[in-house]
Amino acid sequence: MLNATGLSVGERLRALDFHAEPGEHIAILGPNGAGKSTLLAALAGLLPAKGRIEWNDREYSKIPFLQRGRMLSWLGQESHAEFAFPVREVVAQGRHAWGDDGACVEEAMATLDITHLAERPITQLSGGERRRVFLARALATGAPIQLWDEPASSLDVRHALEVYRLGQQLAAKGSTLLVSLHDIRAAYRFSRVLVLECGHLVGDGPPHEVLSAKLIREVFRVEASFVTSLVPELPQE
Amino acid sequence: MKAHRTWPLLVFGALTVLAVVASLALGDALLSPRQMFGALLGHGDDLARTVLWDIRLPRTLVGLAVGAGLGASGVVMQAYFRNPLASPGLLGVSSGGALGAVAALALGGGALSLFMVPLASIAGAFLATGAVMLMARRGASPEHLLLGGVALNALFGAATSFLVAVSAAHMQATGQIIFWLMGGIENRTWEHVWMALPLVALSCGLLLPLGRSMNLLALGESGAQSLGVDVRRLRWQLVILSTILTALATAVGGVVGFVGLVVPHLVRMMFGPDHRRLLPLSMLGGAILVLACDLPTRFLPAGMRLGVVTSLVGGPFLLWLLRKRPC
Repeated sequence: MLNATGLSVGERLRALDFHAEPGEHIAILGPNGAGKSTLLAALAGLLPAKGRIEWNDREYSKIPFLQRGRMLSWLGQESHAEFAFPVREVVAQGRHAWGDDGACVEEAMATLDITHLAERPITQLSGGERRRVFLARALATGAPIQLWDEPASSLDVRHALEVYRLGQQLAAKGSTLLVSLHDIRAAYRFSRVLVLECGHLVGDGPPHEVLSAKLIREVFRVEASFVTSLVPELPQE
Repeated sequence: MKAHRTWPLLVFGALTVLAVVASLALGDALLSPRQMFGALLGHGDDLARTVLWDIRLPRTLVGLAVGAGLGASGVVMQAYFRNPLASPGLLGVSSGGALGAVAALALGGGALSLFMVPLASIAGAFLATGAVMLMARRGASPEHLLLGGVALNALFGAATSFLVAVSAAHMQATGQIIFWLMGGIENRTWEHVWMALPLVALSCGLLLPLGRSMNLLALGESGAQSLGVDVRRLRWQLVILSTILTALATAVGGVVGFVGLVVPHLVRMMFGPDHRRLLPLSMLGGAILVLACDLPTRFLPAGMRLGVVTSLVGGPFLLWLLRKRPC
């Protein structure tokens, strides 16, 4: 259970109250600069924030770093690759807080479809491949709370769909997922949607209730029409 | 992540031993292995003993300290700034040390005592270290720290230039200053060794266990912190240890360029970026490079100072490696 009360980060996030239960698959939407990344980084304890964040009734800031690394995983937007670490070593970093390599590393690589890249230096990968490597690292932590900041950016359509499905599967197993994204349509794949605007929470609930034409017009300043069009889906297994 | 390959460490260890032996044996007075080991154990002829204990051994140990310190400091700076072009001098510590030494030389301190210059250099380097720590403690980001280093480098560089210009009238002081600025480990005494070696060894020892966390830091600070690294504390440890290493190396060896940049770079190109391997190999690699480059200075004309040779050797080698394999 993740609980934030009066969470504020300067002007970017203002007195946000928010509560998430295990098993929730939550999309965070909002225009550029609305505070999506700030919210995720603040929840991960990476920003100096005011307010209170609790995890299972424990105050998050009082939890030692190593323990935090086991219970919460954060995937940032940037994937740094200045040094030529092999892919497997990067993914294995996800086990830092556990001090083991575990089978999770191979499993995470297989899940993100990067096993064939395991020995390749990360510097030689494409942007999308690198994104999947860092996602695998976040996954390898085995943390019950996963915070992903635009995980699908720079991914091709199939891998993007796989990432959303992965989120659904993790949530079904009891993890809490918070995923920021720009694709409003993809938000329908989530069980709950948070909409941010200028640091305020302006929408919270199931996607078909929250994402009304009115809200989309006011927040994103675009007209939304609900018609059937090309919808890519993963093939049934 | 297993640091499975130990052979590079063995090879570098063997090369270090070889460099130490060569540094002890070679020079104007050539010592045979028998003479050398005899003198080491305290017997043999007086000349060999004097050469070994009073001249070669301090020079070699200072070379080890300078090389290992600069190599380790370079690795730390490159991981800290996530930039393979970062070097120990980046934060202004070596130019602070240079200013201290040049000030002492310009004021005629070189003639007063053998320790005036290294002590003044330590003072200058630690002044810069203090400034860096003050910035780091206020939570400055790496970018801020880098710009602070640029400012310190400019400031100390200007003051050094001024002192060189002012002392131009005194040929002797100018010569000493220029010599010092080119770096060198000749005429070192046991006091120099005690000044640098223990603290260098301690700092290197404290750095080694940080390799694993440095791997995470090298792929992004926020990511590292989310995975369980106390990034604030790690950054603080890295800045302190690397500035101390640079300060000590500069104080006893003068400005020895390029070692801290080229050694970590070469080791990384040869054995990969894992800091658990990179740290010890760069310490040994730095020591090997400094000792090896010190050898020719004993036979070449006086202008071929240590700093000149390290750059002359390191530059082309790096270019050659870059041509072979783009990084």
